[in-house]
Amino acid sequence: MRFWQLFTRSLKETYRDPLALGFLLAFPLIFMLVFGAAFGSDTTPSYDIGIIDNDHTEVSQGFIDQAISQISIFEVTSFDDTDSAREELKLGEISAYVVIPGGFSTQVSQIMQGMEGDIVLNITYDESEPMISEQIISSVNAATRQFAQIEIPVTINTDPINIGVDITQMDFIATGIIVFGLLIMIPTSGRIMLRDKESRFLYRMLTTPAKPWEFIAGYSLSMVLLATIQIFFFILLGWLFGMDIIGSLWLAFALFLLTAICSIGIGMVVASLSKSENQGESLSWLFSMPLAILSGVWFSTEFMPSYMRTFAGIFPFSHAVEASRAVITRGVGMEAISGDFLFLVSWAAVVFIIGTILFSRTMRS
Amino acid sequence: MTDKVKKAPAEMNDIPAIQTSNLTRLFGSLVAVDGINLEIKKGELYAFLGPNGAGKTTTISMLCCLLKPTSGTAAVMGYDINREPYKIKQIIGVSPQETTLSEHLNSMENLALVGHLHSIDSEKIRNWSKLMLETMGLTDRAKDQVRKLSGGMKRRLSIAMALIHNPQIIFLDEPTLGLDPQARRAVWDYIARLKGNKTILLTTHYMEEADYLADRIGIIDEGRIAALGTSSELKTDIIEKHTMVVYAWNLTQKVIMELRNRYEEVEISNGTMTISDKKLDFKDIINRLHTAGTVVRSAHIKEPTLEDVFLKITGKELRV
Ligand SMILES: Nc1ncnc2c1ncn2[C@@H]1O[C@H](COP(=O)(O)OP(=O)(O)OP(=O)(O)O)[C@@H](O)[C@H]1O
Ligand SMILES: [Mg+2]
Repeated sequence: MRFWQLFTRSLKETYRDPLALGFLLAFPLIFMLVFGAAFGSDTTPSYDIGIIDNDHTEVSQGFIDQAISQISIFEVTSFDDTDSAREELKLGEISAYVVIPGGFSTQVSQIMQGMEGDIVLNITYDESEPMISEQIISSVNAATRQFAQIEIPVTINTDPINIGVDITQMDFIATGIIVFGLLIMIPTSGRIMLRDKESRFLYRMLTTPAKPWEFIAGYSLSMVLLATIQIFFFILLGWLFGMDIIGSLWLAFALFLLTAICSIGIGMVVASLSKSENQGESLSWLFSMPLAILSGVWFSTEFMPSYMRTFAGIFPFSHAVEASRAVITRGVGMEAISGDFLFLVSWAAVVFIIGTILFSRTMRS
Repeated sequence: MTDKVKKAPAEMNDIPAIQTSNLTRLFGSLVAVDGINLEIKKGELYAFLGPNGAGKTTTISMLCCLLKPTSGTAAVMGYDINREPYKIKQIIGVSPQETTLSEHLNSMENLALVGHLHSIDSEKIRNWSKLMLETMGLTDRAKDQVRKLSGGMKRRLSIAMALIHNPQIIFLDEPTLGLDPQARRAVWDYIARLKGNKTILLTTHYMEEADYLADRIGIIDEGRIAALGTSSELKTDIIEKHTMVVYAWNLTQKVIMELRNRYEEVEISNGTMTISDKKLDFKDIINRLHTAGTVVRSAHIKEPTLEDVFLKITGKELRV
């Protein structure tokens, strides 16, 4: 049980250093607090949205009534044609308008029947208000996806209110912030190993029979424990600021924990490759900040060029954002996110294997 | 059946505790260790004496499996450093040149960590730690986080960490660096008690340390062993000349000239005359001085020191 000894030692090194511990715990939580205070207030914004139904079917009408109109931050007005809607948009009476093109219902029912389909919605918005349009688009997007995933007959016939999408800003933002908070464990999780390298304490430990995996396990377990505490606080804070958890809390927790484990794994890789704390930290900040943006923790990735999204998709964080958002705001279960879930699990496994290999390579030079 | 029990290679026959063959290590183009061949017997205390940058630490690092040799190899208790590093790590204790401790742990916890990593059971660790802390004079600070200890106290704990798991082979890289004379004495006494039971490879810059502790001394310079032997072997073999020191009044030019004719080196400063040569006749010198009317206050033959040996071989003064 050498890894256990190394683990308890790392833990002691962490919690007996109040400044470091404070930084590790408080830093991400401060983000959450700031964002919560900024977006979690009761004064939920309200946007006037225009809608033009060119499909004129029951499905499109249902979509307007039960999906778009149910978005709590929308105040929906119907228009007959795009010209009048555009006029209103220019006057600032509405923030955007959505056009449901002809053929919408066909596409939706194709998807419902498990066939290929491509739902197209045209959203026109004032581009001088990027933050607002961003929100409108993600809300419409979320509502549409939900609409298309639920069997229409069932909802229409039995419980129309069930469809009610009630995405508050906090619901949308909180998951991103949490994933961001876990992503920035990349720079912090290698700290103890790098300090041990700098002080050469690691080299003393390397003259004992402890194996590379035991070192990696020892260093990362203390961070996993810390991550668990963080996730607990994140969810608690999010909830206090008005994030509703519609799906399983445990599933959300598991997703976040997996995300943290991936970050810690990357931290181990970086720490194994770096020579000093400075080098390791600057290296990982340099790469985790852009990754955070690409992964959609702040902004929706809808507008990013596809190569960027593909790139972000290699890393676990965009998957984590999407899956946890689906669980928290749309209440989907394991079956709907099993792909992302498996991706995170495999990613964690692979990154730790790589970390261990790199560690054992660098430990004897 | 019995021959199926796998014994450590070293137990099977009487091979050396540490053996190196052409052990070499380069850093870029710098040759830090240059084909060293060592043979250290079990229970022997071997001291490396050498100037800064001679390659002492590099050699020890290779023997502890921290550094790969560029060429050549070594065996510790018969285990090859390249092939069986974990076997070696189980039987060695290392006190590195720099004092490195887990700063937020206390002394007991630091010792326990090393003990546990060597799979010693907690009961034993507790007892041994107490003894060890007592030996090192740290008992009353045992519960303090080590970052609060003084440099010398840390150093003592660092040595204790090399010994806590009762290893067969002990590497001590400048163990008493930075210790006050009393603590140094205590460490020396402790090491002296281990002699015979443990194989110890020690590096030092202190002549007295090597003189007092070592069975054999290897003088290492520029990555090579320049001389090897017991302290007295080195002194008699390397320092061929003897030196006589005379304090005298009324030294005349005539008697000085007379002595210079007979002996290789005669130097005078402040009424002190030093005479060196391969052969010195103490009686003859005294007689000559006497005859010349010189008053001899004192006269003695100066024993060669390791310092002299070191200077002769490396051409460098030891720091200290
Ligand atoms: N990691 C390294 N990278 C490059 N050069 C190194 C490294 N470690 C040691 N050296 C070089 O190897 C040579 C031998 O160093 P080493 O530390 O073995 O000397 P030493 O005999 O222990 O000296 P000291 O008495 O100062 O401790 C020195 O010239 C040193 O600069
Ligand atoms: Mg050294």
